[in-house]
Amino acid sequence: MIEVKNISKHYQAGGQAVHAVNDANLHIERGEFLSIVGHSGSGKTTLLSLMGGLTRPDSGTVVIDGVDLWSISDDELSGFRNRKINFIYQFASLIPTLTALENVMLPSAFGKWTGDTEQRARELLGLVGLSDKLNSYPSELSGGQQRRVAIARAFINEPEVVLADEPTGDLDEDTEAEIFNLFRRFNEEKKLTFVLVTHSRELAAKTRRQVRMTHGVLTEN
Amino acid sequence: MGISLFGIAERNLRRKYFRSIAIALSVAVVAGTLFSVTTVMESVELSLKRGTARLGADLMVVPAEYEQKARAALLAGEPTTFFMSGDLLRRVRNVKGVKTAAPQLFLQSASYACCDVAEARLIGFDPEVDFTIAPWVKQRLDRPLGPKEILIGREVTYDVGGVMTFYGQEFTIAGYLELTGMRFLDNSIFMPLDTARRMIRESASKAKQTLTVSEDQISTILVQIDPKYSPEQVAIYIEHDIDGVKAVVSEQVISSVRKQLFVLLRSILVVSVILWVMALLMIGVIFSMIVNERQREVGLLRAMGARRRAVFGLIMYEASTLSIIGGLIGIAIGGGSLYALRNVIRTSLNVPYLWPEADQFLVIIVLCLFLAFLTGVVAALYPAFRSSRMEPYAAIRKGE
Ligand SMILES: Nc1ncnc2c1ncn2[C@@H]1O[C@H](COP(=O)(O)OP(=O)(O)OP(=O)(O)O)[C@@H](O)[C@H]1O
Ligand SMILES: [Mg+2]
Repeated sequence: MIEVKNISKHYQAGGQAVHAVNDANLHIERGEFLSIVGHSGSGKTTLLSLMGGLTRPDSGTVVIDGVDLWSISDDELSGFRNRKINFIYQFASLIPTLTALENVMLPSAFGKWTGDTEQRARELLGLVGLSDKLNSYPSELSGGQQRRVAIARAFINEPEVVLADEPTGDLDEDTEAEIFNLFRRFNEEKKLTFVLVTHSRELAAKTRRQVRMTHGVLTEN
Repeated sequence: MGISLFGIAERNLRRKYFRSIAIALSVAVVAGTLFSVTTVMESVELSLKRGTARLGADLMVVPAEYEQKARAALLAGEPTTFFMSGDLLRRVRNVKGVKTAAPQLFLQSASYACCDVAEARLIGFDPEVDFTIAPWVKQRLDRPLGPKEILIGREVTYDVGGVMTFYGQEFTIAGYLELTGMRFLDNSIFMPLDTARRMIRESASKAKQTLTVSEDQISTILVQIDPKYSPEQVAIYIEHDIDGVKAVVSEQVISSVRKQLFVLLRSILVVSVILWVMALLMIGVIFSMIVNERQREVGLLRAMGARRRAVFGLIMYEASTLSIIGGLIGIAIGGGSLYALRNVIRTSLNVPYLWPEADQFLVIIVLCLFLAFLTGVVAALYPAFRSSRMEPYAAIRKGE
């Protein structure tokens, strides 16, 4: 499903080169649930954005579902993201002018979608426990609630791949467990490929396969 | 309920209310200025054309020393009287290139008890030969004016059938002329020469103020020329053949006004261009700021599949919406103030003045709106382009 080959990305910071991702190789099967662990600044977010086609690697390739992300046009790549990939970010990622419901539906503005998007958005918000906050704006939601809206949004396009960057970072243990179960359910029911970056050993231990980032170097755990 | 790019754009515009209004207003200033200037120019042009068409004369022969006053009277309707010998009529008719010539006599109503309307111009015309007022009498009145009847210009505030007193005599208003935009015609009172002469004779006994104009005097001779000649040629013939007169070419009067207005227009145009450049820069800077602070959101939209084109369109849509709203506001305010100040404009420009015709008005409005639209589009073009080209991940990280 996802084939990462010899991928590298470095940044120039303060006259020094930072090798955020250094010659990483990773093969992920369809429907796999994989976690990435590693210290802060080890390159996890960078790897995720390389895999999702958000930033161009210095070298190496990312092939998802037979498509080499960096050999297609920007428009095609955008369409590809719209249909197949979705992200859950480490930080707040809602559009402040839109309500919770609208934020969840937002990806549908950028592609030809069939089916009742609004109905699906309501269901997803229900699944993350926010049925009563559909029309709230992000500024009216707590940090954890905002995070859950972002999680609901990640499934709106019924993606084949979800790249989640510490999605449960600011949730309490119970909610974290619930959300994790939700991930697992989607993963199992829909054959969804799930890549989870986490600091939590507990959470990582629940996934079938774990990899580790250390100073930009990826190793199988 | 779906969610669209336009919906997002509208939310964004409402988010920073004050800033949106500031942008719209700066476009409004530019559009309003341009709209007002072009409207004034168009109206002046139109009323000049209409006025001279109504006047119907190619040349106006006046006493040489009164040339300036005659021009002022013709253009701005300034009150003046001047006289010359009626014999000249015969001589003018004999000049090469003159097709028809008709005399007119200008009198001034005095400002005290004698007259109902103070400072009105009374114009005596010869119903037999006049080609400016007489045809109108035939068309609309269908009978010659009686000895106690007058016609009024459209802006004389009396009704048909009403009675006006001049120099101790009562006259019945038999009709009025169509609006011409020339105060010379619109504010005047017209009577046959015979009526005017009788009024002069009887003013000694009937009025508190006596008119001292002798029987054979006239003020001006209006000339229609043979189309084989140009007005300028015939003017030279007349001035050559007859001493002490000046032949004013109607077209030239207009072109001299055009020249004056052109100078005025040019300075206003320079101001407009400066305003426009300032508005462009300001809106450009504001949009760079907007795009900068929203870069993260743009990155998020790109990550969820928005194409570059969509992001670009989103920003351009916001810019053009604001500038069209601004344009509409500017045109409304410009039009409103033109209307409110119409009398001030008329007197300060010293020319006849009317609104342009509906279709020209529409063209002006559309052009001003287009310029307003262009302002927003040009100003936002670069920020929108830059924003849409940014790599999604870099954009998302920007706000952190
Ligand atoms: N745009 C950038 N410019 C310069 N350096 C960058 C940039 N993005 C990332 N880095 C550097 O690359 C390294 C990896 O960053 P990354 O965000 O991938 O780490 P991470 O593993 O996600 O950390 P955390 O667990 O704290 O989120 C860091 O040293 C960071 O400073
Ligand atoms: Mg990170």
